[in-house]
Amino acid sequence: MLSEIPLLRRSATVSPAPGRVTIEYLDDEITLEGAGADLLERLLPHFDGQTSLSGIATRVAEPPARVERLASELQRAGVLTFLLTPSTDSGPMMTGLEFYALHRRYVSHWLRDVYAHPLWEKMVTGKAARAQVIGFAFEKYHYIEGAYEHMALAAANATPEMMPHLARHFIEEYMHGDIYRKGLSSLFPDELVLYSQPLPSTRALINFLNECASRNSFGYYAGNELLQMTENTSDEGESSSINKFYDALLKHYPYTKRLVDSFIAHTNADQSLGHKDVFHEMCESVPPLTPREVKDAMNIVKSMAEHLMLFLDGIDVFYGNFPTVPRTPCNLLSE
Amino acid sequence: MTQANLHAYSPRRVYSVTPCDGALAFQVRECVIELGPAEATTYAQLAEWLPTVRSVDELCTAVGMDEAKLTRFAAHLGAAGLLYKKADLPAELSGEAFHKAFSEILPSWLSEAFSHPYWQKMMSGLGSKRLYTGWLIELYHYTRNANRHMPLSCAHSREKAIKGLHAKHYAEEWDHYHFFAKALTALGYTRAAIAESVPLPMTLALSNFMRQAAREDILAYSICSAVLEGTTTDRSSYNPFYEACAKLYDVPQEAIRPIYAHLDLDVQYQHSDLFHEVLCKVPSISAEHASRVLDYGHQLVEHIWLWTENIDNYYSNPKSALPRRPFDPFLE
Repeated sequence: MLSEIPLLRRSATVSPAPGRVTIEYLDDEITLEGAGADLLERLLPHFDGQTSLSGIATRVAEPPARVERLASELQRAGVLTFLLTPSTDSGPMMTGLEFYALHRRYVSHWLRDVYAHPLWEKMVTGKAARAQVIGFAFEKYHYIEGAYEHMALAAANATPEMMPHLARHFIEEYMHGDIYRKGLSSLFPDELVLYSQPLPSTRALINFLNECASRNSFGYYAGNELLQMTENTSDEGESSSINKFYDALLKHYPYTKRLVDSFIAHTNADQSLGHKDVFHEMCESVPPLTPREVKDAMNIVKSMAEHLMLFLDGIDVFYGNFPTVPRTPCNLLSE
Repeated sequence: MTQANLHAYSPRRVYSVTPCDGALAFQVRECVIELGPAEATTYAQLAEWLPTVRSVDELCTAVGMDEAKLTRFAAHLGAAGLLYKKADLPAELSGEAFHKAFSEILPSWLSEAFSHPYWQKMMSGLGSKRLYTGWLIELYHYTRNANRHMPLSCAHSREKAIKGLHAKHYAEEWDHYHFFAKALTALGYTRAAIAESVPLPMTLALSNFMRQAAREDILAYSICSAVLEGTTTDRSSYNPFYEACAKLYDVPQEAIRPIYAHLDLDVQYQHSDLFHEVLCKVPSISAEHASRVLDYGHQLVEHIWLWTENIDNYYSNPKSALPRRPFDPFLE
C-alpha cells in the first residue's frame, strides 16, 4: 500500500478547527480530534494525487506505518481513494449490484438540491404566482408526456439485457401524460393543452433523456431512475411531505383542485406499477460493467440531476419573468 | 354578439410592459400601445381568459362589462395590435414572403433573447472576470457542439439544393471552436482542460434542441440557425460588450481578439443570409407549416434566455468549478 498514491476525493470538503478536522463527503461527516487531527492536517496537502504514501511519510517525517494506518481508515470511510483505482477499461469490472449501491449513494446526495429548490417553498407558502403554479402542472404534463419520445427511443435502441425492462417500461407508462392532461383540461381546452409548448428547460430534460436513450440503454435507465426516485416513494415521511404539499397548494390556489387530483392519480399509478424495484432488477441482470461504462453511466446520472434542477429553475425563473400561461405556439400573426 | 366573436381573437406577443405617466405601455413587435389603468386591467383579464374554458358570463362579471361592450373592446385591442383575429391567418405564403415576415420579427426576438439581466450586469461593472470566462467557455462548447447538429441537418434533409447549402455552412463552421479555445488559453486555461470540460446543461440543451430541429424539419432547423447567426451580423451590437469586459474586468485583448476574428469570419461568409437562400428554394409554405417553423425560431430565442440564466446562475457562485470537469465516481 505504501507505493500507492492517495487522493482526497474531489467532492470532499475539509473544515479545520483548533484540535479538530472535519471532512464532509456526500451525506457523511467524519471528525478527527487530538493527535489524529494534527496528523491529518499535515497530511492533507499531500493527498493531491501526486505523491505515494511512503513519499508523504518522508515529507512529514512520520513513521510510514502511522501514515498508512490513517490513510486506510480514511479510505474505509470513503473520503480517500488511491490513483491505482481504474480510470480506463483496463481496470476491474463492477457488478450491476455494486453499481446499484454506488448509484444510490450519489443520487440520494444529488437529490438534496432538488428537494431544497426554492420553488417548493414559494408554492407551499402561497408566494408563487399563478403562472408558476399552472406552469408547474403544464411542465409536469410535458415531462411525463415525453415518455412517448425517450421511453420509445430507449426500447427501440435497447441492448438485449435491457430490452424486456425498457419495453415494459414504455408500455406501462406511455399513457401517463393523459392523467395530467385530464387535470389541465379542467382549466383549458383539450386541444390547447395538447399543442402547448414546454419551457426550454423542460424540453432540455426530455431531449437529454432522448439522447441518452438512443446511445446507452443502461446509462439512460440509471439516469431515469434518479427521476423515478422523486416520484416513487413508499416511505411514510416522504408521502406525508407530498400530502402536505398538495394540501398547501389547495389552500393557496383553490383553482388547482383538479390539477392536484391528477398529481395524486399519477403518483398512485406509478406506485401501483411497482417501478420502485425495477432498477434493482436491471442491475441484477446486466453483465459486469467496465470502469468506462461506470463513468459514462454515472455522468449521465449526474447530468440528469442537473437537468432536473434546470427543470425546476425554468418553472421558477421563466414563468416568473414571462408569466404567459398556457404557452401557445407562435403563428404568423401572434408575433 | 356571441361567444364565438370573443373567441375569434388571440393575444399577440407583448415584449415588455412599462409604466408610463399613469398608463401602461405595451411593446408589441411594431409599436408601443398605451392603455389607461382600467383598460390595462380589462385587457389583462381578457388575455388570461381567452385560452381558458371559463364562460363568457364569468369574464363579463369579472370585468364589469356586458358581452357586446367587451367584444367592441376586443375589436379596439385588435386594431391597436394587442390581439389578432385567428381567421386572418393566410392559408399559405411564398418562401420569400415568409422570409420577409421573419426579418420583421427577428429584431424583437433578439431583444427578447438578450433581455436577461446578465448583460446589464456585465456592462455596468457588476459582473466579473469569472462571469466573462464562464460565458466564453460555454460559447466554446456551444460552437464545438455545432458538430452535433449541423451535419445532422444534412443527413435528414431531402432537398438536394437545401442540403447543399447546409453542407457548405457546416464545412465553413465546423472548427470555429478553436477561436474560443484560443481566447480561453489567453485567460490561463490549458487546451487539455478546455477540451475535457463539460458544458452546462443549458449549453447542451441548445445543441440538443438543434438536433431535434435537424431531425424534424429542415426549415425549422434553418430558422434556428438564422436566429443564432442573427446575433453576429453587426459589429456594433457585440463590440461594446467585449470592450466593456476588457476594461471593467481586466480581460486581456488576447482573450477578445479571437472572438472578433470569429465574428468577422461569420460576416465574411454571410451566414446570416443562409435562411433567405434556403427559403428562395421553397415556392410555397402552408400557414400551418410556417407557424411550426416560426415556433421553432421562438423556442430558440427562449433557449438563449435560459442559457444566459444558467451561465449567470452557475458562474456567479465562486464555489462552482471552472471549467466543469466530468464526474469521476472513482475520484469524486
